[in-house]
Amino acid sequence: MRKRPHVLAPLALAGVLLTAAACGESGSSGTGGGSSGANASGQACAPVAGQQLVVLEDDQHLQNADNVVPAVNAATAQADPALVPALDAVSAALTTDQLIDLNNAVDVQRRSATDVAAGWVQENIDAADLQRGSGTVVVGGANFTESTILANVYADVLDAAGFDASVREVGNRELYLPALISGSEIQVFPEYLATVTEFINRQVNGAEAEPVASGDVQRTLSALKPLAEQVGLVFGDPSEAADQNAFAVTQTFAEGLGVSTLSELADACGDGSLVLGGPAECPTRDYCQLGLEETYGLKFASFRELDSGGPLTKSALQQGEVSIGLVFSSDGALAQQ
Amino acid sequence: MTRALAADEAPNPWFSPSYVSDNWHTIVGYLGQHVRLTVGAVLLGTLIALPLALLARRTRLLSGPVLGLSSVVYTIPSLAMFSFLAPVTGPLSATTVLVGLTLYTLVILVRNFLAGLQGVPADVREAARGMGYGPARLFWQVDLPLALPAFMAGLRIATVSTVALVTVGVITGNGGLGQLIVGGFNANFYRAEIVTGALGCVLLALVADVLLAGVERLLTPWTRAVRA
Repeated sequence: MRKRPHVLAPLALAGVLLTAAACGESGSSGTGGGSSGANASGQACAPVAGQQLVVLEDDQHLQNADNVVPAVNAATAQADPALVPALDAVSAALTTDQLIDLNNAVDVQRRSATDVAAGWVQENIDAADLQRGSGTVVVGGANFTESTILANVYADVLDAAGFDASVREVGNRELYLPALISGSEIQVFPEYLATVTEFINRQVNGAEAEPVASGDVQRTLSALKPLAEQVGLVFGDPSEAADQNAFAVTQTFAEGLGVSTLSELADACGDGSLVLGGPAECPTRDYCQLGLEETYGLKFASFRELDSGGPLTKSALQQGEVSIGLVFSSDGALAQQ
Repeated sequence: MTRALAADEAPNPWFSPSYVSDNWHTIVGYLGQHVRLTVGAVLLGTLIALPLALLARRTRLLSGPVLGLSSVVYTIPSLAMFSFLAPVTGPLSATTVLVGLTLYTLVILVRNFLAGLQGVPADVREAARGMGYGPARLFWQVDLPLALPAFMAGLRIATVSTVALVTVGVITGNGGLGQLIVGGFNANFYRAEIVTGALGCVLLALVADVLLAGVERLLTPWTRAVRA
């Protein structure tokens, strides 16, 4: 489940400014939910402001496993057996922390995605270990930072392995996946395991198909492989690095309670003083408030309608308006300062 | 890997010469695509609109449907248009954008071409025919010079509106400077990138309009001679 704010971004930014202006005493507005404070027996898990955000580990696998995984056109993969192993070398080396740093370097430090990708490949991939291949390969990348970086990483590694690789920026999955399957314009794409599994699942088994992706990487991968074969795609090894829904708190909040996983948070916050922030649909979705309540037994004092891991949620966390908020696990804002 | 600054403290200027110089090749690449798509769409549009306008002038029976159809096409939202075309023309190909843009130029071009042709006085055409002008000579030496101001007005509007519409092609990855605008939004609101794309579009539209105005002056020297 992955949504990126596109046109809404400037609106969201304006929203942050408005919110900040509207509630002058931002420190108190989060918990001062009036009536909701009455049934909370304590304030242990009230929001705590802080710059540094940390993700609490999803130890019960509430979220689908959206690990980075190379998607390759089947005919291209078959034509040169060195192609998929070269991409698997990226999967083996890449971690979520590194992905956060890569995103941070581009989104926050404003370095160019090509330079950042080349730097990572130089530090983490030894060209001598790669099998030698040849031929031209076009790597597609969707038009958001992380996808562009990963596409450049793939292209650099393929170049190092002897291929002649280039990057092509494309639009959304509805358009690029058919192109990847046909293989005429792009042959390789950095995909997200659970999301692409469900996409192909719906394509093969119809729009109402039973979901096969889950929080378990291996189970999702074994569900994906036969589906991919049917449409003419090959997938490499999934990386440890994942960009999926995650729940963040401020470091000050986490250290104050001594929690690092969502289960620990549930134990520490039995008094129901947590304030949750997320997109409007959060209270009715399994991956958001419903799942947190049912899977982890968390109790919330209130819910604040913000955005899907965008600037509203992050600044509400930092300003101490919500205790916990929905973010993307590889967001550059999660980099350790 | 160097560690980060806080998101809010990170520099995010609206104008950044270093962004432009660091990404010069990318920007020029997208600018080239933008120009190619605009020129291609307006040229193709002209080639289709001119025969349609000539046909529509002949009888009222044809002018209604021709104008109506091109207007109906114009009401299709551009995002939807590119999505409809994509499965036919190839999901990632620039042809999708080119075909869509060409269709949009038609409403402007057909209307202006037809208005220009209808503005040619009937007695002038009558006189030319009386002097033995054939249909081709009549068009080149009578219709075209007299209708040229309206033709050029149509071309200028079509070009400027096409420059703006190319950016929507970003959904297929062929949005010219629109790639920079959307790319900037998706890269944590990189203002320098967004402004570069947006200003590039504005400048391109202005330059194209001035160029076409110059062409019009060159082609119609008599309009100045009368005034002088």
